Amino acid sequence: MSNTILEVRHLSKTFGKNEVLRDIDFTVRAGDVTSIIGASGSGKSTLLRCINLLETPTAGAILFHGQDITGKGMKAAAYRSKVGMVFQSFNLFNNMTVLDNCMVGQIKVLKKSKDEAKENAMKYLERVGMAPYINAKPRQISGGQKQRVAIARALAMEPEVLLFDEPTSALDPEMVGEVLDVMRSLADGGMTMLVVTHEMAFARDVSNHVVFMSEGVICEEGDPKEVFSNPKQQRTQEFLSRFARG
Amino acid sequence: MDKFIELGMDMAALWGQYWDRYLSGIRSTLILAVVATLIGCLIGLICGILNTIPYAKNDPLPKRFLLKLIRVVVRIYVEVFRGTPMVLQAVFIYYGLPYFTDQQIMFRGNSGMWLAAIIIVSINTGAYMAESVRGGIISIDPGQTEGAKAIGMTHVQTMTSVILPQALRNILPQIGNNFIINIKDTSVMFIIGFIEFFGQHRNIVGNNYMYFQSAAIEMIGYLCMTLVASFLLRLLERRMDGADSYELAQADQLTMAAGTYSHPSRGTPFDERSKEQRERIRQELKHGRTRGDR
Repeated sequence: MSNTILEVRHLSKTFGKNEVLRDIDFTVRAGDVTSIIGASGSGKSTLLRCINLLETPTAGAILFHGQDITGKGMKAAAYRSKVGMVFQSFNLFNNMTVLDNCMVGQIKVLKKSKDEAKENAMKYLERVGMAPYINAKPRQISGGQKQRVAIARALAMEPEVLLFDEPTSALDPEMVGEVLDVMRSLADGGMTMLVVTHEMAFARDVSNHVVFMSEGVICEEGDPKEVFSNPKQQRTQEFLSRFARG
Repeated sequence: MDKFIELGMDMAALWGQYWDRYLSGIRSTLILAVVATLIGCLIGLICGILNTIPYAKNDPLPKRFLLKLIRVVVRIYVEVFRGTPMVLQAVFIYYGLPYFTDQQIMFRGNSGMWLAAIIIVSINTGAYMAESVRGGIISIDPGQTEGAKAIGMTHVQTMTSVILPQALRNILPQIGNNFIINIKDTSVMFIIGFIEFFGQHRNIVGNNYMYFQSAAIEMIGYLCMTLVASFLLRLLERRMDGADSYELAQADQLTMAAGTYSHPSRGTPFDERSKEQRERIRQELKHGRTRGDR
């Protein structure tokens, strides 16, 4: 078995009395591209935010290379620098240019020199096709371009896992394509990715593991081809049939 | 009309006689307003930042207690200094401090007066700015904080690199407001004997009883100061916003990026070439395409 990076064990999250996640259990291995699918409100995004500690889990554990990062005395910042995250709303820093967006983390968190950070940032900006726009501010570029910069910013930290929280949901169909292309090439390059998405084609064709969530629990998971062509749970069948028709 | 001419002549006479005193008054007013606004902003910034340090329910008790305490102290400071007239604060600090310390702390002479005036206006401005800064910080989209945290930044790094630069830009109009208010409101410092622009007016009319004429000079003087201040602040705002356009960094000029700028040979909608193009489209719509599809 290939080496495990992330293990989520019996994870639960409640907001007040509202139980959003219940006893979530799954594993991410190096090189895995895992898609998390499910209806809106099923807890997909919350799960991802828990993994990046943007939300504090109510119960359960998240093991990163076997070490529980929800425990006391763990440095959240240090852990987060190894787990990149791409948001639905991009969250680029509005006060910085595209290049600075990709450099600031390397300089402040990884303590790299300016030249080193710039070289590294350019490498990833070229990879997502945004190298010509290094002088632009976020407000001057389109949504798809912003998302590609956001991916480059996350990549520039050279994380071990990259989390995507509905990266294409705020984009028009044309821009969805350019972002998915970038993600596909990352997957081909062996990047470990955990993707919350409504893009069923991406989940089916690119990922090698699919997790279907419903009402805060993992309803079904497994090989994408198996889950998509032959879903075992009734809930999964209903959800996927809606996509097949639409 | 002749009233105005008379007023003008009186003003000219006053200015001719006392121009050096008016100018020294303007100088004192501006120095006090600039210094006190700067210090006030610093106080406000510190209070605002301390006030927005986040804490979670499961943080250790001492940390939570300390942060709560800071918030309470800042709140009291803001409410007291925002809620009482600056004239009275001046009296309390200038005369009250020596009184309570048995003349241990005293504001002696001219420099003492300057010190007292700067302290009073600064802490007053600070009380207003504390709320502005807090508002500026919480008005920044939480996504910015999340973006910064997601790449591993600490709270301090997030604040200094991401949140504060944006918050400061947003509260710049407020800083300008406070500066202009300070230019005018420093006039109440006459209560501790501080002679600025308005103080000079009081001294001058004490000699010659030309109240109204001197007040007119004051009006114009204050208006000039505030107009210049507004203009400079606008300029600063524009500087901070940066350019509206950006340069494409491209080594290879042949790879044109789609949709970002028009190709030079395509021209603008206003030049000759596009007039020709428009005409062709019109003809096409009328008579159908004549050149065949390519």
